[in-house]
Amino acid sequence: MSDTTAPDLPNPLPRPPGELEELERVWRRPRGIRRLTEVNNSQIGLYYIGTAVMFFLFAGVLALLMRAQLALPENALVDHDLYNQLFTMHGTVMMFLFAVPAVEAMGVLLLPSMVAARDLPFPRLSAYAFWAYFIGGTIFLVSLFLDVAPRAGWFMYPPLSSAEYTPDVSSDFWLLGIGFIEISAIAGAIEIIVGVLRTRAPGMSLDKMPVFAWVMLVFAGMIVFAFPAMIAGTALLELERAFDWPFFIAERGGDPLLWQHLFWFFGHPEVYIIFLPAAGFLSMIVPTLARRPLIGYRAIVLAVIGTGFLSFGLWVHHMFTTGLPAISMSFFSAASMAVAIPSGIQIFAWIATIAAGRMQLTTPALFVLGFLFIFTIGGLSGVMVAMVPFDWQAHDTYFIVAHLHYVLIGGMVFPLFAAIYYWVPMISRRRLSERIGKVVAVLLFLGVNLAFFPMHVSGLMGMPRRVYTYPDGLGWEVTNLLSTIGAFVIAAGVALFLFDLARNLRLSTTRNAGNVWDAGTLEWLPTGTYQTRSIPIVTSRDPLWDQPNLAADVEAGRYYLPGTATGRRETIVTSSVDARPQYVLTLPGPGWTPFFSAAFTAAAFMLLTVKAVIPAILCGAIAIGGIIAWMWRADIGPRAPVDIGGGLRLPVNITGRNAHATAGTVVLILCAGTLFGCLLFAYFFLWTVNADWPPAGAGAPSPSWAAIAAVLLLAASLAWRAGRGVLTSHDQPRPRLMFRLLVLGAAAAATAAVVADGVSLWQAGLRPADSAYGAILYAITAYQAFLTGALIIMAGIVFARSLAGRIGGPWRLSFEVTALFGHYVVVQGLVALAVTRLFPGVAS
Amino acid sequence: MSPPISSRCARAAAVVGAAAALAACDGPQAALDPAGPDAEAISTIAWVMFGGAAIVFIVVLVAVAWALRARRAREGRGLIIAGGVVFPLVVLTALLVFGLTVSSRINAEPDDALTIRVTGKQWWWQVDYLDAGEPVLTTANDIVVPVGAPVRFVLTTDDVIHSFWVPSLGGKLDMIPGRINETVLQADVAGAYRGQCAEFCGDQHALMAFTVAATDDFAAWLAAQQRPAAEPVTDLEARGAALFLENGCGACHTIRGTDADGTIGPDLTHVGGRPTIAAGTLPNNQGTLAGWIADAQAIKPGARMPSFDRLAGPELRALAAYLASLE
Amino acid sequence: MTVARRLVSTGVAASLLLAAGCDRDAAPQTRIVADGDPGHGRQLIAEVACGVCHIIPGVRGAAGTVGPSLAGFAERNLIAGVLPNTPSELARWVRDAPSLVPETAMPPMPLSEDEAVNVAAYLLTLR
Repeated sequence: MSDTTAPDLPNPLPRPPGELEELERVWRRPRGIRRLTEVNNSQIGLYYIGTAVMFFLFAGVLALLMRAQLALPENALVDHDLYNQLFTMHGTVMMFLFAVPAVEAMGVLLLPSMVAARDLPFPRLSAYAFWAYFIGGTIFLVSLFLDVAPRAGWFMYPPLSSAEYTPDVSSDFWLLGIGFIEISAIAGAIEIIVGVLRTRAPGMSLDKMPVFAWVMLVFAGMIVFAFPAMIAGTALLELERAFDWPFFIAERGGDPLLWQHLFWFFGHPEVYIIFLPAAGFLSMIVPTLARRPLIGYRAIVLAVIGTGFLSFGLWVHHMFTTGLPAISMSFFSAASMAVAIPSGIQIFAWIATIAAGRMQLTTPALFVLGFLFIFTIGGLSGVMVAMVPFDWQAHDTYFIVAHLHYVLIGGMVFPLFAAIYYWVPMISRRRLSERIGKVVAVLLFLGVNLAFFPMHVSGLMGMPRRVYTYPDGLGWEVTNLLSTIGAFVIAAGVALFLFDLARNLRLSTTRNAGNVWDAGTLEWLPTGTYQTRSIPIVTSRDPLWDQPNLAADVEAGRYYLPGTATGRRETIVTSSVDARPQYVLTLPGPGWTPFFSAAFTAAAFMLLTVKAVIPAILCGAIAIGGIIAWMWRADIGPRAPVDIGGGLRLPVNITGRNAHATAGTVVLILCAGTLFGCLLFAYFFLWTVNADWPPAGAGAPSPSWAAIAAVLLLAASLAWRAGRGVLTSHDQPRPRLMFRLLVLGAAAAATAAVVADGVSLWQAGLRPADSAYGAILYAITAYQAFLTGALIIMAGIVFARSLAGRIGGPWRLSFEVTALFGHYVVVQGLVALAVTRLFPGVAS
Repeated sequence: MSPPISSRCARAAAVVGAAAALAACDGPQAALDPAGPDAEAISTIAWVMFGGAAIVFIVVLVAVAWALRARRAREGRGLIIAGGVVFPLVVLTALLVFGLTVSSRINAEPDDALTIRVTGKQWWWQVDYLDAGEPVLTTANDIVVPVGAPVRFVLTTDDVIHSFWVPSLGGKLDMIPGRINETVLQADVAGAYRGQCAEFCGDQHALMAFTVAATDDFAAWLAAQQRPAAEPVTDLEARGAALFLENGCGACHTIRGTDADGTIGPDLTHVGGRPTIAAGTLPNNQGTLAGWIADAQAIKPGARMPSFDRLAGPELRALAAYLASLE
Repeated sequence: MTVARRLVSTGVAASLLLAAGCDRDAAPQTRIVADGDPGHGRQLIAEVACGVCHIIPGVRGAAGTVGPSLAGFAERNLIAGVLPNTPSELARWVRDAPSLVPETAMPPMPLSEDEAVNVAAYLLTLR
């Protein structure tokens, strides 16, 4: 315990009258129907986790139906068609609508208070992400009741999912619905990355950051690199379904395995995307319950980062039975086993922490112990299936069903329950019942083991996955009946949990139950709608343990920014490594644009699934209009520097490299680049499976068009540079005109380049439906056109802002992010041209 | 005096667990009931891994139990390095080396082996016995192989992805459009082994099974199968043969020696001698043949076989009798 | 909703199975037929798959609609509307129906005489 009497805190007492009231006023939450306009992350986080739990219940009910059907051989409870929808929806909803959103929700909910920010930097983006997820997910669920639910499995392998074998709209629902929800996950990831890196409390350097913030940083980073693969895959498959572009049709040069590579390049990291945040919960909960600081903090952080990297090298272990060369299988087998090491490090770090302290067997502790038991079994069966020959037997059997449920329930659901029991006192006037909670933990533990352990046996007895019925006499009867009983025991546990929630959960941010566990991290500071009254200076990893007066001083307003300095919502932006205060960022308050933009984006996607193209375009236009309105008010420009206490005067809303929006744009560009990389991967992959590339008879696009496109792209880049020069020079009328011309010129040049590119393909006689070669070339051009379209809108906003006098001199953040994005579009365009026009020539 | 409930439950659980574990060892489709070298090798790997996993699991549980009792233990760093790095590294390296050694046995390529091409179709298996790449016999669903000899399976598909799997003989391998995968399996014990499609392939994925029968008398079987279909003997069978053609069955099915030469459905030249019909779904007898013809869509909804529900009773019987006679 | 109803029946069947200690040979004994073993009969019915054409209570997967449902068969006076429903007639019928009623669609089934008696014994437990 150090430093009990911090002598000179930044702000003196007493605080001026009216300061707290003013702070409360700007952070006041809208009521009634206007709750939909709230953008504050803590509030959105609650909606988010609530929705995720709702989807969990829904998918759980689907599982109960399946288990009821499989209780007995040759049962006739549900027919094949419903069963196929059930397991497709169960997997899809659990993975995409529950697991990832639930942990993302916990991040959005906990991170602001854990790093003592008033809010994360892009509250409207979080609100948009949430509403897109909520509306899109709900429509997705409804498809089940209209009998148009996807039924080709959550992995959607073509050709089963393609137009020939699934001609109805069910696959479109999946591709557009899930592709869209992935976009929402990426939006959340951008918020989390910039939030963790830039809005931590002063002094919370990276090595003092709570482990949960670390895992969420890695989590969000993994989303940025994994989810674009999924978006690329779904986009290609949807293009094939809608327009007959044969990416996956073998007769025309496509390959079904291309989908499997893209899907699992996303799908394997997905498992760790789900597990790492849950491990992060444990790294927060275990030290508190053991009453000792976490042992092996550095080892855990390194293990988390290592897992993040390794997880991208494992995807092929989902494809061991596709007939790949033995040498590549050995590599992926070894890599799959290696990932056990970082998990082992974390598990033993928690065990060491428990040993160093004295863990009370509270409800969260029971879930932690349940986690250790169940996840260890899942990890061990994971090592087994990483062994290639064993996987040839186990793959696509109930052994895998057992394994993945041990991993995901052990690795995610148990930690989530621990987290809910642990953190509810932070958001509720009452904590949840310890007595009920313990029964819930025991029921879930027994149920999970009863349901899933016998499945190992079913699988080894030869029972494949995804069968709606099975014959009598293969020895699968007993194990299946046990699994079904176990499933209903789990259901009983979940029902009891809901009862506990109904009885004890009383949401409140201002009068919560408080630090009932006597924890050491900042989320347990006294809070209001504005989070903490003042923003503390962090000097250790467990500030509440090490600075006994911290809570009182923070609440008294003795730390930084005890009121509102600009009369708006705001937070302190700090440097990413050592968290030195850099500037004060004003944050948007409630508004309708995120909700409406999300609603109409969702509508546009869902209307596309039913081929209502015109209404879809209308909804899309409205959504874009909403986003434009939102952007219009986003960049309010720099303000006079303000005093946050301790003689620290910080600028307000800076521009340039250190600005939060620049960081956000960089992350977005990483996403866009990954998606582009996936398209290039598809290009090279299709090349390797086709003996003739380009195929015989396919025309060669003329190099002169490509040269013109390249020159136009370079011109666009120069125009962006020149525009910046003009903007930063003196703000005279003539340069202002010049600036507008440059912005328009840059956008026009980028547009002309992609048009030239498209024309060259068409003139060469290439048609996307003819061959996979044509299809992938057009897909790359279409993606370039899509980004160019986004760029045109951004440039239009900059142009309009210039006309309205909302840009100029230091007020130019919206221009800078547009130019940054513009440069990226140029780079991508040039790389695309180089790869598609030069490579076949060079190779041949 | 009866024992306390908890101990009775524990005993019941132990019995169930033991029964389940033992049950896993045998069954017509069980991976740990090997009847060939591949399955044997994998079964060895499996048992070694189960044993190893049990030991590791107990070590972790003991560590947790110790941690719960310990106070102010200072082994932190050492525990993380020993338990989290050294222990898994040693165990996994040993496992990998062991696994690669054993699996090298699995990938052995025979010089000369009977070659059977199996083509996955929604939801049955076309089976072609090849000689120098050309089919010398086409049949369906029920495969016969010689005992104790390696058989090369050439796997492909006509529609979506399927996966060919006979657990008692070895691991599975996918059938992927545009690709040809090959695996070699061998049955060391005469008998029938059940297989099933392992990759979800649509509506009736659950009812896409097959059998592999290993026989000592393979040459005789092959010669018999290569002969054209038996001529009908009884009046009823003759009527069935006529009805088969009249009802257009020949548009989808081949019966060698007759005008029926369709290739959409299974070859029926010797259907009467197969153990199952409808891809391992039903036992093969006149009753099931008649029921399948009359109401295939109720048994396997979505299959390409229509329900012939306009046949009169004796007609249906005649067809069934004819097909059953095609041994 | 039919799914709900089937859910209930699955639950009932599952608990019956549990209560019976997973003894699949236990059949409801309602009418004893001389020399017949209804338990074995039920097993035979499953093996030769009579259920392809008939709904047969107590036999899993027996949901065929090609022929008549055999629910309540013991109550029926006539076999196929032609023969008196006695144990011996029924045993002959299940073994070789066309020899008794040439117009029937039901083919001869691969059952021995003893087996046919057992099958008949089971069918006559269906009330």
